[in-house]
Amino acid sequence: MPSVASKLYSDDVSLLVLLLDTNPLFWSTTSITFSQFLSHVLAFLNAVLGLNQLNQVVVIATGHSSCDYIYDSSSTSNESSGTGLPVLFGSLLEKLGDFVTKYEQLSKEEEFENGIASSLLSGSLSMALCYIQRVFRSGHLHPQPRILCLQGSPDGPEQYVAVMNSIFSAQRLMVPIDSCYIGIQNSAFLQQASYITGGVHHTPKQLDGLFQYLTTIYATDLHSRGFVQLHKPVGVDFRASCFCHKKAIDMGYICSVCLSIFCKHHKKCSTCGSIFGQSKLDVSDKKSKAPDT
Amino acid sequence: MPQVRIIAKNFMDMVASLPAIKLDKLYNNVFICEAILRSLPPLAKKYVLQMLYITDPVPATMMEEWVLADGASKHRVAIDRLIQLRIFSEISDRKKGTSYNLNPTFQNNLQKHIISGGVLPREPMNSDNAIKLPSLQELETYALKQWECFLLQLINSGHGEKLTGISSSMMKIFQRGLMSQRDRDGPRLTESGFQFLLMDTNSQLWYIIREYISNAEERDVDPADLISFLLELSFHVTGEAYNLNTLTDVQRNTLKDLADLGLVKLQQGRKDSWFIPTKLATNLSVSLADSSVRKEGFVVMETNFRMYAYSTSKLQCEILRLFARIEYQLPNLIACAITKESLYNAFDNGITSDQIITFLQQNSHPRCADRVPSIPENVTDQIRLWEADLKRIEMTQAHFYDEFPSKDVFEAACDFAREWGGLLWEDSKRMRLVVKSEIHNQMREFLHTQSK
Repeated sequence: MPSVASKLYSDDVSLLVLLLDTNPLFWSTTSITFSQFLSHVLAFLNAVLGLNQLNQVVVIATGHSSCDYIYDSSSTSNESSGTGLPVLFGSLLEKLGDFVTKYEQLSKEEEFENGIASSLLSGSLSMALCYIQRVFRSGHLHPQPRILCLQGSPDGPEQYVAVMNSIFSAQRLMVPIDSCYIGIQNSAFLQQASYITGGVHHTPKQLDGLFQYLTTIYATDLHSRGFVQLHKPVGVDFRASCFCHKKAIDMGYICSVCLSIFCKHHKKCSTCGSIFGQSKLDVSDKKSKAPDT
Repeated sequence: MPQVRIIAKNFMDMVASLPAIKLDKLYNNVFICEAILRSLPPLAKKYVLQMLYITDPVPATMMEEWVLADGASKHRVAIDRLIQLRIFSEISDRKKGTSYNLNPTFQNNLQKHIISGGVLPREPMNSDNAIKLPSLQELETYALKQWECFLLQLINSGHGEKLTGISSSMMKIFQRGLMSQRDRDGPRLTESGFQFLLMDTNSQLWYIIREYISNAEERDVDPADLISFLLELSFHVTGEAYNLNTLTDVQRNTLKDLADLGLVKLQQGRKDSWFIPTKLATNLSVSLADSSVRKEGFVVMETNFRMYAYSTSKLQCEILRLFARIEYQLPNLIACAITKESLYNAFDNGITSDQIITFLQQNSHPRCADRVPSIPENVTDQIRLWEADLKRIEMTQAHFYDEFPSKDVFEAACDFAREWGGLLWEDSKRMRLVVKSEIHNQMREFLHTQSK
């Protein structure tokens, strides 16, 4: 990779890609309404844009099974409506409305058999990374990017591989993923994402003070993070999901060739096709069964 | 050697030096609050955001816990800046120690800005009523052309070519400090003038704007009004037309001068006239911050001291001419060489080797900028060596003493001078010594007491 530092405007110009959880299944269960939440977030975005004229904000909405760009401060500022300043949040709300109605139909048709109301985090993460990659390649100078996940829905174990891949590519690009988890359970995905990429993970206790959390922790530009006391995570949930049933597991079987994870013993790796030997557990089973037959 | 340096001193120092009442009045304007927030060091910005909704004073000890040990000095700088700009007010309490409070007007305005989103300072005109707006590209070339014209006029004012509409009295003000008026050969660039030319556009712009503002009182304009107008201007949208009717008379007059500098483009319609801010204007508040903005360079330096500059600009050519010999010029390329003579010429004019080297480094072509070092080492070394050649002799003002009455007095005098750190030379055989002229007075007193 070419030297990143030489292509930056200056130390504290940042590009913030915000992944906004709009999953209706989550928002029907929370203590604060979505509109209250949104007002905190909009104020935060305004603040980020206000900090530096060159700062850039991109918002990606994450629905239950969909995701889409809903706001990009760099493109709207060129529109003739004269929205160089945060009047532009009108357009954000409009796009968000479009997004919600568009995917309302889709989500109605689907059946939620497993009962996990997760959001499509992997999709929005990859969209964010694509956007950042485009910024890296586009021109000579670019702002310093970072990703912020505002997530409330629980993890979707079926997205494990996709999310992990996104996390590792973010790590390679040296893009930190900050995460702010506002749901009830803990999100192992987000904890790992922030841990691996060097971002900040935090679960705010009081959601009515969300703006204060957001500005105090997540508005800090990467340059200043070097000398500011930031929230340190207590522990990280490193649990992985198995590839066969998409369940989060503590202990399992790993393919020695491709490192796929399984919760049960298989004869053949479903990912790379290598044939496994008998597991010790099975061998002892057979031995114990042998006298019976 | 006394060093006169023109530093593109931060514009905010000027704002900070305004009297308190005026400063508080400035904060009534939302845009100024916003511009000032942007000009702060990163850490200070963070503090302001963090305290935006805190109405009680925050103790200083608590704020110190916000930063790591490495950041202590940056923390001090940030706090000092905030106090200087009267954004923080200090409250000292004997029991609790110092605590800080955010300026309520500033706080209110920023809160409003953040919640409701910024509103434009004034509405742009509708594009349908027969206004032909220049494209952004055209506007940018216009701005740069205007600015170069201005700079060229600034340097060659002797040639009498009238390029821009800036009045000669105004030009004199800008030239103050940059040009020296000599009787015979007309105005000549001074040392600081050369340094000015080597700065990047934004710093130059701020230098000129600063001169413009500091001169405001002579033109019966309140500097605070001017500052607020300029900051407001930077929040307009580049390439949009704004009606002149929305401005006060003072602002309209100011705008004429700004148009000559390339900050805005004035256009006349059938009924009314309007102005279009260019990138130079909207970037004003960007360059306020200390952080330097990098731009694409154009110079390729070779190890054989030849230099190729991909530029069509007359101004760039003039700048290169300051320290290099121009060999030939192609439509988009200037080929020149750095020679001993050309550099001696530059040193003579008060340009230092470091300035030349940093100029070359900052403006090196993107292809070269990726190399380490971007300028060949033998060239930088040679530039420094040639400068050192000229500085083999150092001059010090001194006084000479001789005919001491006795060896004791002479030695006492020597010791005295040594103690003060002013002894330059002594000859104990013939009892003569030379001391720096700074301690001449003390020396004389000392010798008087000795002789009694």
